[in-house]
Amino acid sequence: MRLFREVVLNFKRSGFMSFVSIGTIILAVTMLGGFYIMQTVVNFAADQMQNRVEAVVFIKDGASAEEIKLLGDEITALSGVKEARYISKDDAYQDFAKDPEMQKILSSFEGNPLPDSISVKFNDYKAQEINSAVAAIKTKMAVEDVEYGAAEIEHLLNVINAVKYIAGAAGIIFVIAALLVVSNIIKLTIYNRRQDIYVLKMVGATGADIRLPFIFEGIAHGFLGGFLGWLILYAVVSFLAFQVKKETGIDLAAFYAFNPALLSPKFIFGMTGAGIVLGLTGSLMSQGRIFK
Amino acid sequence: MIKFSRVFKVYEKNIQALTDINFEVAKGEFVFLTGPSGAGKTTILKLLYREETPDMGSIIVDDTDISRLSSGKVPFYRRGIGFVFQDFKLIFERSIYENLALPLEITGAPSKFIRHTVMESLEKIGLAGRENHNPWHISGGEKQKVAIARALIMSPPVLLADEPTGNLDEASAGEIMKMFKDANAKGTTVLMASHNKEIISNSGFRAVRLRGGRVEE
Ligand SMILES: Nc1ncnc2c1ncn2[C@@H]1O[C@H](COP(=O)(O)OP(=O)(O)O)[C@@H](O)[C@H]1O
Ligand SMILES: [Mg+2]
Repeated sequence: MRLFREVVLNFKRSGFMSFVSIGTIILAVTMLGGFYIMQTVVNFAADQMQNRVEAVVFIKDGASAEEIKLLGDEITALSGVKEARYISKDDAYQDFAKDPEMQKILSSFEGNPLPDSISVKFNDYKAQEINSAVAAIKTKMAVEDVEYGAAEIEHLLNVINAVKYIAGAAGIIFVIAALLVVSNIIKLTIYNRRQDIYVLKMVGATGADIRLPFIFEGIAHGFLGGFLGWLILYAVVSFLAFQVKKETGIDLAAFYAFNPALLSPKFIFGMTGAGIVLGLTGSLMSQGRIFK
Repeated sequence: MIKFSRVFKVYEKNIQALTDINFEVAKGEFVFLTGPSGAGKTTILKLLYREETPDMGSIIVDDTDISRLSSGKVPFYRRGIGFVFQDFKLIFERSIYENLALPLEITGAPSKFIRHTVMESLEKIGLAGRENHNPWHISGGEKQKVAIARALIMSPPVLLADEPTGNLDEASAGEIMKMFKDANAKGTTVLMASHNKEIISNSGFRAVRLRGGRVEE
């Protein structure tokens, strides 16, 4: 109770300074949270692609069964390739014809317009490995063309990755800034209250009696900063997702688990907790020789 | 109750504040510390509530040599000592009530007990009904009354005061002196620094005279 009142009293006295302190904690925590969110997005997307990434090798019309068999073996022997599965033009036709839309298109052709193909799956999603494998396949005699559609997604992932590292770096910078700001503002509060502290000592307050309110002040700033930081991040991400959906029709929430991650208790506690750790560390840093 | 034996105190820059101080104050006694400005009165009081430590000698309070008290024990020692400053040292961001409650809150006393004790104390100094006021707005004499009430709120066996009437007019000084005498009549040992000869002679109490950091015989 006394502790709570002391913290409120400090807050009243520091006023604007408390807001500065909370503000820097918000910045630090938001950047860290943003880094984490982008990290999940990148991991999630990479995961998805790993399962899906597949190159389709279209085989020249008139290639013999032996040539096709040889091609299949050659592809399987390439590094990074998990499996190569032959799909005859008839199988492909039947597969496509399951979809009524496709059925319509196919029936407008005379006969079967689809080529024989080999579906290639890769062990890992490693752009470089896939690209070199695709290039190698393209040089084979019996190959008409290779289709590999992940390039655009890969580009997007690179952008997200870059933003992620910027957010991470900004997060580290703001963490340092927040620690300095919080500790200095609490130092200032302590300096402004030196008369009180003297009186408190003279009436028999222990070191802990005097220090605890300042430490709790740091924790309170950290709690508020962390929680507000989460709220702001949530608002920003939701707004961006809303805009993206409006502009492109892509629902980021469904695709990349944006919102579910943001709303998970683990994430909310994580950000609030990070704020508290910042505030606590900052206030501990402020406890120098002032109380000797 | 209080016994100074061969106490020396040198401040930094070689300022010799106290030289071979010896005196005693018996339990329940009221004693003045007097002497011109710079004589060492404040230094003696600072040694007594352990804001300073002596360079030599022993200071016994209630059978304990407080100059050897570990710093962890100092706060608990201070809870048994009331202190009144010349400049009151009230906290102006806190109400009169909160100023008085401070020493009790620190000990973790239950809030009902605090309320009862503080209200009773306010009644005695004639400030009942003004507990929520800010001490900034009351007169100097009233400020010092609040400060004395705060010093006495834990019923300490020892009350120290450093020129408590120095900033007050004569009428207020009289009232303040009466509070100290009342406390002393109830058994509190009082040691008061003052250079007001009139107050000392009117009181009829003993005075320890200091000059240049030594006790005058
Ligand atoms: N913190 C200090 N540092 C250095 N010298 C001090 C300090 N406090 C007091 N003194 C010196 O010690 C002497 C005694 O001071 P003090 O005890 O305050 O005397 P009094 O209270 O009788 O006026 C004076 O010469 C004073 O200048
Ligand atoms: Mg003095």
